Order: sequence, then structure tokens, then C-alpha cells
Amino acid sequence: MHDGSIVSFREDEGIAVATVEAASVLDALNVDQFGKEVQKYVRGNRGIHLLLDFQKVEYLSSAVLTELLRIKKAIAEMQGTMRLCALTKEIRKVFEITNLDQIFVIDHNVETALPRYRRALQVAAQEETWKQLHEES
Amino acid sequence: MVAMAGKPFFAQEFPSTLEAMRETVDSAVKALAERGWIGPAQRYYARLCLEEALVNAITHGNKSDVCKKVVLEMSDEESCCRIRVRDEGEGFCPDNVHKPPADALGGRGVYLIKCFMENVTFNQTEGCLEMVLPRQAPSKGGPSNA
Repeated sequence: MHDGSIVSFREDEGIAVATVEAASVLDALNVDQFGKEVQKYVRGNRGIHLLLDFQKVEYLSSAVLTELLRIKKAIAEMQGTMRLCALTKEIRKVFEITNLDQIFVIDHNVETALPRYRRALQVAAQEETWKQLHEES
Repeated sequence: MVAMAGKPFFAQEFPSTLEAMRETVDSAVKALAERGWIGPAQRYYARLCLEEALVNAITHGNKSDVCKKVVLEMSDEESCCRIRVRDEGEGFCPDNVHKPPADALGGRGVYLIKCFMENVTFNQTEGCLEMVLPRQAPSKGGPSNA
């Protein structure tokens, strides 16, 4: 994180983990940078499965909620998926009040999120295989 | 904490930029904590409401015109803190703001203020958005008042 970016990316067995490293506050001032960094990574990785890790974020505003919806849309257009993890209880409450907890899958932390995400992807792949077999028969 | 009712303990005018907005929010949250209006549990929600109100004033009220000013005032009252946000726009009626659909791209700012503050109104006489923060009350945390 020496290039002025606020999000770091790493690959973990097929899942891209994006961690907001350099900003404990995500607000109207830096939401554009946050969005550009994530969207740039997403655009370069068709079929991405992205886990956005907010463990270092203490505050986010409604501007960030809107940006997360934009990112989700961009990922869907790239045939990918997206999940969130490590929201503080205050941020989680904002998601609940705005019903965004029904739009996003949210896990407690990276450690629990990764195996659940992998399992969900496996199930989705199996379902897709069965669907194809059914269509062929 | 002793102060004249209605006399602002915090008053700041700033240009319509997001940098100035963040500085003002930082100062305002600090002032609220120092005056005992918020504790650690209310800090997040106070910051959220202030930012949403100021961003709304900058983008909707002043159309992001840096020549136009936003004013934030906070006053002690008996059992609450009254927060006023004034811009150079025409104002709006918070009662007309309803819960946006979950997947809406925007429209959550004023709705969140209504969830976490009390008596969110537009004061036509003074041309400002007003909201009331009870002293360290548990955040309402729900849309019942929205």
C-alpha cells in the first residue's frame, strides 16, 4: 500500500479478497477512489468472485452503499459474484435499515467468509452441471 | 455542561467542497462528544447524520457550486442538541423522503438521518434543515420514525 491506493487485492484459491487497507473512514470524499480501484480490478477479471473485506473500516456513509451497488452490478455484468465481510455492528445496522443485507451476502470475517463462499460456488457449479445434464437428456 | 438554550456552541460556515465537509464533520463530532451529547455508541450515527446532511446541502442545495456556502450550527437545549444545516438552495421537505428500494442507486441520505435523529424538519422561517439529537439516547436504529 505504498502507491496511494486504499484497497489491496489478493487471490485465495479462486476468490479475490479486496481489503480496504488505508482508510478507516469511507465517505463522500474518498468513495470515488474506492470505487475506481475496485471497478478497475473487476473489469480486468471476468468471472471474478470478490470478497470485500471491511475489517479496517470504522465508518462508511450512504455514498459507499451506492458505490457497492454499482460494483455489484459491474461484477454481475462480468458473470462474477460478490460478497462482503467484517462490517462493524454500526455499519451492519445501516445495511439492515436500508435492506441492503438482503442484497449482499455478509459474513463476520474473512476466515469464516472464504470457506462459505467456496462452498456456495461449488454448489452453484454442481447445480449448473446438473442443469446442463438435464437439458441434454 | 451549561449553556444558554438555543445559543450555538458550534457554528461553522464552509464552501461547498467535500474536503471542507469532512473537516467540518470531524470538528462537529468532536464538539458533540466534548459537550456530552454523544458517547462512543452514538459517535458513528452522529457522524453519519452530519455527513448526509452536509453532503445533501452541498450537492442538492448548492449544486456543488464552491462559491456557495453551507452553515452548520449546533445548539444546546434542555435535553437535546438542535442541529441546523443551511445552504443556498430552495430547501426540501423531509416528510416527502421515504425509504428507497434496497437496490436504488442513491436516496438514502435523508432517510438515514430520519432513522437516527428526531424531529427532522425543514425550518421555512430560517431556511434550514433541522434535526434533534437527544443526549446519548440509544439510537433508534429503525425506520419507525422515517
